[in-house]
Amino acid sequence: MKASLRWLRELCPQLPDDAAALAARLTAAGLEVEGTEAFGAGTEACVVARVVSARPHPSRDGLRLVVVDRGGREQEVVCGAPNVPDPGGLVVLAPLGAHLPAKGMTIERRTIAGTVSEGMLCSEAELGLGDDGSGLLVLPAGVAAPGAALTHALPGARDTIFEIGLTPNRPDGLGHLGLAREAAALFEVPFPPPSPTRGADATDGGEKHVSVSIEDAERCPHYGFAVLVGARIAPSPLAVRWRLSSLGVRPISNVVDVTNLVMLELGHPMHAFDLARVRGGKIVVRRARAGEAMRTLDGVDRTLHDDDLVICDGEGPVALAGVMGGGDSEISASTTRVLLECAYFDPRGIRRAARRHGLHTESSHRFERGVDWGDTRHALERAASLVSTLAGATLAGRTHLEEARSLSRASVTLRCERVGALLGAEVSRSDVGAILGRLGFERQGARDGADTWLAPSFRPDVSRPVDLVEEVARVRGFDAIPATLPAIRPSRDAAPRASLARRARAAGVSMGLSEAISSAFVSRPDLHAVGAPAPAVSLRNPMSEEQSVMRTSLLPGLLRVLGHARRHGEGGVRVFSVGALFLASAGSLPDERLAFAALLAGERPAWLTKPQPVDVWDAKGLLEGLVQRMLHREDTVRLVSAAAPPPPAFHPRGAASVEVDGKVVGSLGPLHPDVADAFELGDGPVMVVQLDLDALDAVGARPVRFAPLPRFPASARDLAVVVRDGVPGGDVERAVREAAGELAEQVALFDRFVGGGVPAGHASLALHVVYRAPDRTLTDAEVDARHAEVVAAVQKRFGATLRA
Amino acid sequence: MTEIPASIEPSLSALRAAFPARFEAAPTEQALRDENAKILGKKGELTAILSQMRTVPPEARKAIGEQVNALKQAVEAAFEARLRSLARAKREQDLSAPPFDLTLPGRPPAPAGHPHPISIVRDEIVDVLVSLGFAVHDGPEVELEENNFTKLGFPPDHPATDMQDSFWVDVAGAPPGERRTLLRTHTSNVQIRAMTTHAPPMAFIAPGPTYRRDDDATHSPMFHQIECFLIDRHVTMANLKGVLAEFAERFFGAGTPVRLRPSYFPFVEPGAEVDVGCPFCKQPNGTRAGCSVCKRTGWIEILGCGMIHPVVFESCGIDPEQWTGFAFGMGIERVAMVRYGIPDLRLLFENDPRFLAQF
Ligand SMILES: [Zn+2]
Repeated sequence: MKASLRWLRELCPQLPDDAAALAARLTAAGLEVEGTEAFGAGTEACVVARVVSARPHPSRDGLRLVVVDRGGREQEVVCGAPNVPDPGGLVVLAPLGAHLPAKGMTIERRTIAGTVSEGMLCSEAELGLGDDGSGLLVLPAGVAAPGAALTHALPGARDTIFEIGLTPNRPDGLGHLGLAREAAALFEVPFPPPSPTRGADATDGGEKHVSVSIEDAERCPHYGFAVLVGARIAPSPLAVRWRLSSLGVRPISNVVDVTNLVMLELGHPMHAFDLARVRGGKIVVRRARAGEAMRTLDGVDRTLHDDDLVICDGEGPVALAGVMGGGDSEISASTTRVLLECAYFDPRGIRRAARRHGLHTESSHRFERGVDWGDTRHALERAASLVSTLAGATLAGRTHLEEARSLSRASVTLRCERVGALLGAEVSRSDVGAILGRLGFERQGARDGADTWLAPSFRPDVSRPVDLVEEVARVRGFDAIPATLPAIRPSRDAAPRASLARRARAAGVSMGLSEAISSAFVSRPDLHAVGAPAPAVSLRNPMSEEQSVMRTSLLPGLLRVLGHARRHGEGGVRVFSVGALFLASAGSLPDERLAFAALLAGERPAWLTKPQPVDVWDAKGLLEGLVQRMLHREDTVRLVSAAAPPPPAFHPRGAASVEVDGKVVGSLGPLHPDVADAFELGDGPVMVVQLDLDALDAVGARPVRFAPLPRFPASARDLAVVVRDGVPGGDVERAVREAAGELAEQVALFDRFVGGGVPAGHASLALHVVYRAPDRTLTDAEVDARHAEVVAAVQKRFGATLRA
Repeated sequence: MTEIPASIEPSLSALRAAFPARFEAAPTEQALRDENAKILGKKGELTAILSQMRTVPPEARKAIGEQVNALKQAVEAAFEARLRSLARAKREQDLSAPPFDLTLPGRPPAPAGHPHPISIVRDEIVDVLVSLGFAVHDGPEVELEENNFTKLGFPPDHPATDMQDSFWVDVAGAPPGERRTLLRTHTSNVQIRAMTTHAPPMAFIAPGPTYRRDDDATHSPMFHQIECFLIDRHVTMANLKGVLAEFAERFFGAGTPVRLRPSYFPFVEPGAEVDVGCPFCKQPNGTRAGCSVCKRTGWIEILGCGMIHPVVFESCGIDPEQWTGFAFGMGIERVAMVRYGIPDLRLLFENDPRFLAQF
C-alpha cells in the first residue's frame, strides 16, 4: 500500500511532518514502512512560466523557439513539444541546474541545432508527476504568477510516499483514513472524525432511476448506491491526477478517478456504472448461473461459475462483484448519468471468485481482507460530493443503502491480568483502556477485573481476548517487554530421521565427499532414465514440467550437479546428498524414506604420476567406509552382482546390490553410459553409491566393545600366486583367510598383476598374511607350517602356481 | 710364568695383531658383522683356537684362558666401536646428501569433504537450541492441509494463505476424499504433529525442507526452516524475547542486539518479525554503521515468531487457559547467506564444487 504523507496530514494535521519519524513509529506498531520515495522531486527547482511567443526553429523541423516570461525576465528555450500553448499560456520551466530524477538529467546550457538553450519546458513525465510525456504540462490559467515556484503554486506536486507492507489482517490500513487514524493513536494526537460534505439534494430520488435487489444476502450483506445526473466526463484537475499518480493509480477520468480516490482514502472500493447502459433500470445482486458469460473491463470474455457473485442489470451480469466491472457498462466520455456502487461483500466469496478467474485487483484485494462495512454510506456521500465537484453532477435524491443482512461489531471481554500474563510485563488496566480507546474500541462494560470491548467495524481481525492483548502489545511497543530466559522442562528427542540424516552427512563428509542439496522436485523422464520407482507424489501446480513430481531417487539431482560442474570445467566431483524419497504408500501421505546417494567422477588424487580416473573400487571403498562410520559393520558388507538384467542406472559390468549383515541396503556401480547421455554428462566414468538409510538404520550399529591389545608379536608372510584370470580375487583372499584359520590376524590382497612373466589368461595375486596368537609368541616353525598349509590350500583350490 | 704351547700362542698373537685392521677395513655393517662372525662365531677363528686347548698342559690352561678372554673382550669392544663409527658415518652421509627438492608439489592428502553451508548453519542452530533445552522433532514434508494450515488457524479462503503460496499435490494411491495434501509451506506443521501426540509441557525444534511457490534471487521453491516452540504453564512473550536474545548472543556473537517488530502470522498472536544487529558493520563500540548487507539499516531480519495462538491449542485439544507457548521459525538459507556473505540464493542450490569447497 502506497501512502501519501501530505494526505495523511490533511486527514490528521497534528501528525508530525517528519517522514522518518512517522515511518519508524508505524513500523514499530506492525505497519511496516518498507520504503519511502520522494514524489515530484523534479519539480523542486521548477518555476511557472508564461509563453510570450513561439516561432519555428530556423533550421530544424519539429523544434520551436519559445520565449517565456519567468517573472519579469524573458528567456528563449528550444522546445520540441507539439502543444506549446498560445501566448499567455502557463507552462513549467526547468531552469539551468534543475535536476529531473525521472529522466535522470540535470538541465545544462545546451546548443540545439545551433541555438543556445538555457532551460527546458517540461511534460508531466519529465517532472515525474505522471505518465504523460506526449506534450508540455500546461497549467490552468491564473494558477500562479510567472516566476512562482511550481511547488508553491501547486503544493501537490511534491509529496513523500510511503510503501507500507501491510499484513493481511489489517485491511483498515488500505486507506489513508485508516492509516491516519492508526498514526494518530500511535502519536497520541486527536483524530478528527471525517465529516462528509453532502452534495446538493435534487428533487428526484435515486430510486426513480434504478431499483436494487439483493438475492444473496450471505454474499452481499450491504449494497449502497447513489445516482448522479448531469455529469460531464473530463480529465481530473492536476492535483487529483498527481495524487493518483503518486499512489500508483493511473488517472482516467473525473468520475473513475473519484472512485479510486475514495478507495485510497477510505479503503472502500467503489464502482461507477454508466446508468444509461444499465439495462432495464435495475440492479440485481445474485450468484452467477454456471456457464453464464460476461466481458470484464480488461477485455477478457469470462465464463462464470455458480459460486461467482455478479452484479446484473435487467439483462445479465454487468460486473463480477467486488472484483472487476464489466466492459459494457463502464464510464465513457459520453456518460451523463452515473451509478455509484459501494457494497460490502463476503470476503471469502470474493477471494474464491478472484482466484478462480486469476484476477487480483485493488478491489478484490480489499474486499477479501474485509472492508469497513460501517463506512458504506459515508463512502457514498464522499464520492457523490467529489463527483459533484469534479464532474458538475447532481446527486439524485440521497444515497441509498440496502441491508440484506445485518452485521455486528465484535464484543470481546478481556481479563486485565491476561495482558501481563501473556506478555510477561506489567500493564495497568488504565493503560490497556487508553490504548484500546485510541484505536477506536469502545468499552461496553467492566466487572471483576474484566472489561468488555466493542471492536470497530474497520477491525474485522479482532474477535478474541488475545487480539486485544496484541493491540496493547504493539502500541506499547515490543521494546517495552523484558527478555527473560524461561526454565525449560526437558523433552525427549522425537527425531529419528533428523539424527539419522545427520549421522549420514557426517559419514559422507568424513569420506571426503561434499554435500549437495538439490531440489526435491524432478521430472518424470529423469526418474525413468535412472530406473527409479514411478513418482508417487505429483504437483498440481508445478513451477515447470521439469519440477513436476517429487523425487523417488536422489540420483537425478546429483547428476544435474555433475552436469553443472562439468559444464563449468570442474571434472572432479565427489558429492553426496541426504534427503527424503517420496514413495508410494497405502495412506493419504507418501512413504518418506531417507536416502543417501553419492557420485564420484573425475580422477582420484595422485602424486607425480598420471592421475587415474575413478573406478568401481573407489565406490566400493567409499561404501565400506560409510558402513564403517555409521554401523561399524564394514566386515559384513557384501556386493551381490545384480541378477540379470541389472538395474538400468548402472553399467552391467559393475552393477551390484549392497548387503550389510545379509540385508539389502542399497546399490552401487558405474553409471550406465546411456544414463550419462540422457543427462548430457559427456564422457568420463561416474561411480554411484545409493543407500536406503532407513534400511541401513534397521540393520543397526554394532555396539563398540573394547578388544584387548595384542601382547605377543606378530609374524608376517607374503604369498604370490598365479591364478586363471576369471578367479575372483575375493575368493582367493577368503580361501587364504580360511586356511590360515584362527592365527590369521589380517589377510590383505595387495597386488594384482597381469602380463610380464605371468602367462596369458592368468593373473598374479600377492597377499600379505599377518599371523598372531593371543596367548604366546608364535615360533617361526609354527608360522611356516601354517603358511605352508595356506599355500597348499590355494594351490589345490584354484590350481594356482606359486610365484617366485 | 707358565710357558704357553707354541701351537696356540702364535695364532693368538696373529689374531690379536690383525683384528683391528680387519674391522677397520670392513666398509659396511654387514661386512663388519661377517668379519666379527669369522672371529667370534661358532666356527670362528677364536673358537678354532680354543679347540686346541686340550693340547695345552692343565697348568697353563688358566693363563691361556685369561688371554683368550681378554682377546675376546677386545674384539667385542672393537666391533661395537666400529659398528658405532659405521652408523655414524652412514648418518653423516645421509645428513650431508643433497637437499630434497622442496619445490615439487605436495602430495595431496585424501580429499576433504565439505558439508553444505545450509547443513553447517542448521546444525549450529540446532546445537545452540538443544543446549538451551529444546529437543528435536521430525515432521513430514508432504503434509495434510489440516496440519499445515487449518489447525494452525489459517482461515479458509483467507489471504493469509497468499503469504505461503503452496504446491498442492496428488499422492498416488491415497484414499479419495476431502483430505487435501500439499508440500509443507513451513516447519510449523510439526507444532501440530507434536501437540497432537505429546501432552504439554514440551520444548521442541524441528529443522527441515519446506516448499513455497516462489522462485527468484531471494526465494527458492524448496528452502529450509527450523521451527522452535515451547509450551508450558506460564510461557510469556518475555520468555520468547529471552530465548531469542540468548540465541543471538550464542549464534551471531556476544553483544548482538535483537529487535522485535509486530507482524502477523495466523498461528501466533502477538506475532513479530525479528531482526538482529548486522554482523557485517558492527563498530568497536557496538553500534552498527550500516552496510550493503543490511541495506544501511544496521538490522537483518532473520525470523518470524509469536505467542502460540489459542486457536492452535484448541485445534490440538490443549486448553489455552492452562497452557501458553511461543513459537518461532527461521529460514536457514537466509541465515547462511548472512553468515557467509552469499549474494545469491541460487548459489546454494547449484552445488558447484568450487562453491562447496569453500565451507
Ligand atoms: Zn550492516
